[in-house]
Amino acid sequence: MAGAPGGRAPGPAAGEPLPQRRDSGQGFPEQQSFLSSLFPRNRSCPLMLLKTLETNPYVKLLLDAMKHSGCAINKERHFSCEDCDGNVSGGFDSSTSQIRAANLSGDCSLISEIFRLRFGLKKHHQTCVRDRAVLSILAVRNISTELAQQAVDEVFESCFNDHEPFGRIPHDKTYARYARRDFQNRDRYYSNI
Amino acid sequence: GPPRPCEAYRAEWELCRSTWHFLHHYYVYGQRPACQQWLRDLLNCRDWEQRRSAEAQRSLCESEQARVQARKHTLVWTLRQSPPADWHLPLPQEKDE
Repeated sequence: MAGAPGGRAPGPAAGEPLPQRRDSGQGFPEQQSFLSSLFPRNRSCPLMLLKTLETNPYVKLLLDAMKHSGCAINKERHFSCEDCDGNVSGGFDSSTSQIRAANLSGDCSLISEIFRLRFGLKKHHQTCVRDRAVLSILAVRNISTELAQQAVDEVFESCFNDHEPFGRIPHDKTYARYARRDFQNRDRYYSNI
Repeated sequence: GPPRPCEAYRAEWELCRSTWHFLHHYYVYGQRPACQQWLRDLLNCRDWEQRRSAEAQRSLCESEQARVQARKHTLVWTLRQSPPADWHLPLPQEKDE
């Protein structure tokens, strides 16, 4: 995901690649490595990207909103397939972007947390968002845990309640579909309330 | 006419009342969700549409304005006025190739 629409993230500018190899994921690789030959074709990053862009309601809404703000997405220009450490969700280095990502992506859904063997029900989502945000910051910044936690605490209240462009926390695709429907309806909505 | 098609209020009401939503809401906020307003909005929407009721229109608009207000939050960032200048330009490495 690129940074939150409508906001200036104090991190890599949109489109600036994170530092790593440029030879991965630009169309189909010329030579299949042994490992990648173990996985069927439809698991390749470029194919998964295409499928996601066409069918995922979260992504479709985000891209609609970005286009509406003047940042139309070009899938060759604005995406890059990269190998990454499983611990990180996205490469944002701002606490605000990390909080929004953990909050809105489904990363902190009840099911995801159960799979991580972290059990908690009442308000556990917020604990997860804080923890994931801190972990993601630590993965891209060489700072202490205390400092990362402080950075998250400072902006948590505001960023946790920023649900743009969804208007709600999209717990699953149904919520994301409803959110997209609302976004498409926004002109009628604001002129009739 | 109403800000949303009346079916949208029904859909939101039904989603709100589902067990799955109850679980998610409790998981996030530590309390049960409040769904009655969606039902009130659904009934007012129908009144507005079918009977052109001024009272229903007023109630529904008030309800939606309250929702808009509830979603406001302090901004952390200064909002951009325009996209980055280089948004559509090729990446620096590509220019050298």
